[in-house]
Amino acid sequence: MNDLAIHTEGLVKSFGKTCAVAGLNLKVPRGAVYGFLGRNGAGKTTTVKTLLGLLRPSAGFAEVLGYDIRGDLLAILECTGFVPENKTLFGSLTPAQIVHFNQGYFPKWSNELVARYADLFEIPMQTPFSKLSLGNKTKVCHLLALCQGADLLILDEPSIGLDPVITDLLLRVLVEDHVSEGKTVFLSSHQLAEVERIADWVGIIDKGKILLETRLEDVRQNYRLIRAAGDAAPAISSADLIAVQSSENFRSYLVTREAEDFAAMLRAKGMTILEILPVRLEEVFLGLARKEVPCISGKPGMIPAHA
Amino acid sequence: MYQWKAWHDSRARITLYILAALGSGILFGLNVISDANMHTYWAVLYAATRRPFLNYDFCMDLPFWMLDWVVRDCGQIAALLAGLSLGACSVGGEYGAGTMHFVLTRPDARRNLVLTDWKVGLPAMVIIVGGLAFPLLPFLALVHAKGPGNILAGLPALWVLGAAVYGLSYFTTLAAGSAAKGLTLSVAVLLTFSFFPTALNEWWHSDTLLRATEWTLRALKNNAWPLTSFEWGATAFWLAVAAGFLGASLAWIRQREV
Repeated sequence: MNDLAIHTEGLVKSFGKTCAVAGLNLKVPRGAVYGFLGRNGAGKTTTVKTLLGLLRPSAGFAEVLGYDIRGDLLAILECTGFVPENKTLFGSLTPAQIVHFNQGYFPKWSNELVARYADLFEIPMQTPFSKLSLGNKTKVCHLLALCQGADLLILDEPSIGLDPVITDLLLRVLVEDHVSEGKTVFLSSHQLAEVERIADWVGIIDKGKILLETRLEDVRQNYRLIRAAGDAAPAISSADLIAVQSSENFRSYLVTREAEDFAAMLRAKGMTILEILPVRLEEVFLGLARKEVPCISGKPGMIPAHA
Repeated sequence: MYQWKAWHDSRARITLYILAALGSGILFGLNVISDANMHTYWAVLYAATRRPFLNYDFCMDLPFWMLDWVVRDCGQIAALLAGLSLGACSVGGEYGAGTMHFVLTRPDARRNLVLTDWKVGLPAMVIIVGGLAFPLLPFLALVHAKGPGNILAGLPALWVLGAAVYGLSYFTTLAAGSAAKGLTLSVAVLLTFSFFPTALNEWWHSDTLLRATEWTLRALKNNAWPLTSFEWGATAFWLAVAAGFLGASLAWIRQREV
């Protein structure tokens, strides 16, 4: 058994001429909460669907919990709880009936957890699924994933329709009941604050490729935003530089480590360092994923340094 | 578990179809009794006027011919409609509701989804077609017509035809990804099967396909009274078509992306 819950190498998924996932390399450690971030159409859901056998990979290699997605799909599905982006279950059945339907598939299913989470999330178990609100539908999807005894939870947009109280409860349940027992949570979301709150690792994907995969602690401790002013923008080349943003009066450099050394390099090139700031996940995400278009002032926005 | 869900979803529809078939069968039966009385009256009248070509036995055969018509012709319609709708609604229901991804992420072999749908759909079709024919049997006895076994002899052909149509409808729905598209494709295939061989014969004077088609339909024409020859070959052909669609569906679901 390897130490990775999800491992992909050069994973490709194409639809005709459109390449939704273009050589994705992903390493999700076991026991971690991994935030999988990306803009709309970046390839997040396609990646998730490919990992779960709903789509067939065009090329590359992928393992989930040590099982190859091409050959051991049933083993993967037995050990993986999945909350899809589209929170749709059988409309004519009540949540209690859906639980009855679902439990037969999973040997580690826990009815005690069903009772606990149904009560905690205030799920109306006897109302037909089609008549539930979006929030309650999302809760039922989570209930099914949480009670099947999965070693890996893959949650695609997990908080859609949930109010802040239930979202808070859900995040606590994920960490306290699942991650604390060594289980892995793979969180595909646009809600950066939620990811930042519970994730250990983040992967940022754009156009089907990983732009950044790192520990969130590393972002907090080492990533810095350096604001510098100067008459001319010097040509900078550094492995630590991941994005540059220009405005009328200054330039912002997002660096992954050794910010002081990078600032010294800027000073040596005639720039004046205005400030060096710690960054939040949102700034890293925007720095990497923001589209290269002129902002309102007519100046370019944040440009990924590798672009 | 999926079998429980499939039955839960379709039981109301299947019950309705069965009731409709039983109701139609009973109505036809009542009509046959009425006709039988009339034919008895005319038979006696013609016998009294010494018209030997319309004897009593001949007239009492007429109700049976009518029953035969009900089973063979109306039964074909029932088999077609039941096969088309049940085939499209089963897997098409999952596509339409957006639950296919949920079903396919349960740890169960995908073939079981297809096999379960067939296990629920085919018996339903068999019961629906039978529901049209079986109510006629008591009426048949009432009018003292030929033995009821002859009526039942037409049923296997209807069942295999229904199974083939069910298979066609199921496969096209599975492949097209929606019940509406699947039904449209199925109807297009059935229309092509019905008219293309004739068109080929009329326009290009090639009757090979037409004769082949007519051979397959002998199962429906000759398998009722008088039971001179049961069309085993043509019946087996429709059974093979149904099995072919089952095999194609099993192969397709393995590769299906949602």
